[in-house]
Amino acid sequence: MNIIETQNLTKRYSGFTAVSELNLHVPKGTVYGFLGPNGAGKSTTMKMLLGLIRPTGGSFVIDGRRFPDDRTQILKEVGSFIEAPAFYGNLTGEENLEIIRKILGLPKASVSEALELVGLTDFRKRLARKYSLGMKQRLGLAGALIGRPPVLILDEPTNGLDPAGIHEIRTLIRSLPRQFDCTVFVSSHLLSEIELMADCVGILNHGRLLFEGTLQDLKFSAAAQGYPTDNLEDTFLTLIDADNRRRGGAR
Amino acid sequence: MSLVLEFRKVKRTGLAEAFLGGGILAAAVPFLNMTFRSDRYLSANGSPVTILMDANWQMMSMLNVLLTVAGACILYHIEYADHTMQKMNTLPIREVRLFFGKAGVIFTFSILFLLTEAASVAACAARWFGSGPETAARVLYIFGFALLMLLPPILLSLLVSSLCRNMWISLGIGVVCVFAATMLPTRDFVLTLFPFALPFQTPGSLAADAVRNYAIAAAAEAVLIVLLEVIILNVRRLFE
Repeated sequence: MNIIETQNLTKRYSGFTAVSELNLHVPKGTVYGFLGPNGAGKSTTMKMLLGLIRPTGGSFVIDGRRFPDDRTQILKEVGSFIEAPAFYGNLTGEENLEIIRKILGLPKASVSEALELVGLTDFRKRLARKYSLGMKQRLGLAGALIGRPPVLILDEPTNGLDPAGIHEIRTLIRSLPRQFDCTVFVSSHLLSEIELMADCVGILNHGRLLFEGTLQDLKFSAAAQGYPTDNLEDTFLTLIDADNRRRGGAR
Repeated sequence: MSLVLEFRKVKRTGLAEAFLGGGILAAAVPFLNMTFRSDRYLSANGSPVTILMDANWQMMSMLNVLLTVAGACILYHIEYADHTMQKMNTLPIREVRLFFGKAGVIFTFSILFLLTEAASVAACAARWFGSGPETAARVLYIFGFALLMLLPPILLSLLVSSLCRNMWISLGIGVVCVFAATMLPTRDFVLTLFPFALPFQTPGSLAADAVRNYAIAAAAEAVLIVLLEVIILNVRRLFE
């Protein structure tokens, strides 16, 4: 069963198409890696799923609920982290999460649970503006994880983290479906990263979905087209390159 | 709940201190004026409260409006500075509720600084004119009217701040509007309906029907600004 499904989802700006007739199928209880080079349309797609920008065409369903009719219900069930960590610099980490907790109507314990999950418990009383970049990133993640939402939409969540932090967050994301029975839709431009945590991947280039399926399916599909499969990074780059060539050299 | 949330958000922004300081500064205006120039006012005709308001209200109301403009800028700056507005839009809360919450915060602080100023005017009336407790009702009436007149600039400042991601732009617009309001001719009723000019009106120097007209105008402007904010927020979403 798919928890997120898009039907011909499209976003056009004057002069260019950021996302073109996208048909995504995100299975429930999985980590779905949304891959693509910078500017492929990953963040635009995620923003459309969160109602931050209005699609030009197409529609989508999240957990059986259709946007925009069920917007409030969808937003109650989706935890998100988009582009950069969002926080009130004048408030502590704990106070920041308290604001989100109040809006979502969650129990008080959910704040300490979210802080614990991202390893910020010891820094909960520190002002968010005094956090390091990695800590701000973790606070943003805590804001997405608070209340254990059934769907998580994470846009490049490991940006700005050191290698240890990347490993820790990756392990956390990997464990979420099992731990909290949720689905994670996570974007990245690094296949090496997605490879270590995703069950399924969707590869986007210039707003078009080039591939969707498991990593195993990706290998089979690449081999069938004569692309290298020893290293998934190479597979991904060759796939993008071939698509760019088909489009007449546009990168 | 939005109001409580907005009060939590302004912690450590200096907003409360700014309103407190501004309120005390505005309240000090009649006191200082009477301390150094009491001869000029003690010989004037009229009720003590009207004399005090005519002498000081221009400066006091300018401080009040500038405070509300600065407050509105700070309230939206904390939303835009670190992408929290985007985060709020991914939560099940309408942006217009944030607007109402922020309006509630400034309105509450306005009540507090106007009460401080009212206490100062009442104290001056008692100290220099020997007025009794009967002055209190008149002072409260005048400052209640001032609160109503402050509503349109509060809402308009918030509307401008909600549209500008850069705080300096909204602050600049607000300051220009306040100074433009001080330059408008006060005898032309239509021109004094400019939202930022309304707080300069005081019922002591107005006829009863003019007081009523200003009250109706302020309420109508407040409703119109709120409607405009709702429309702008919906239209803006279409272009994102």
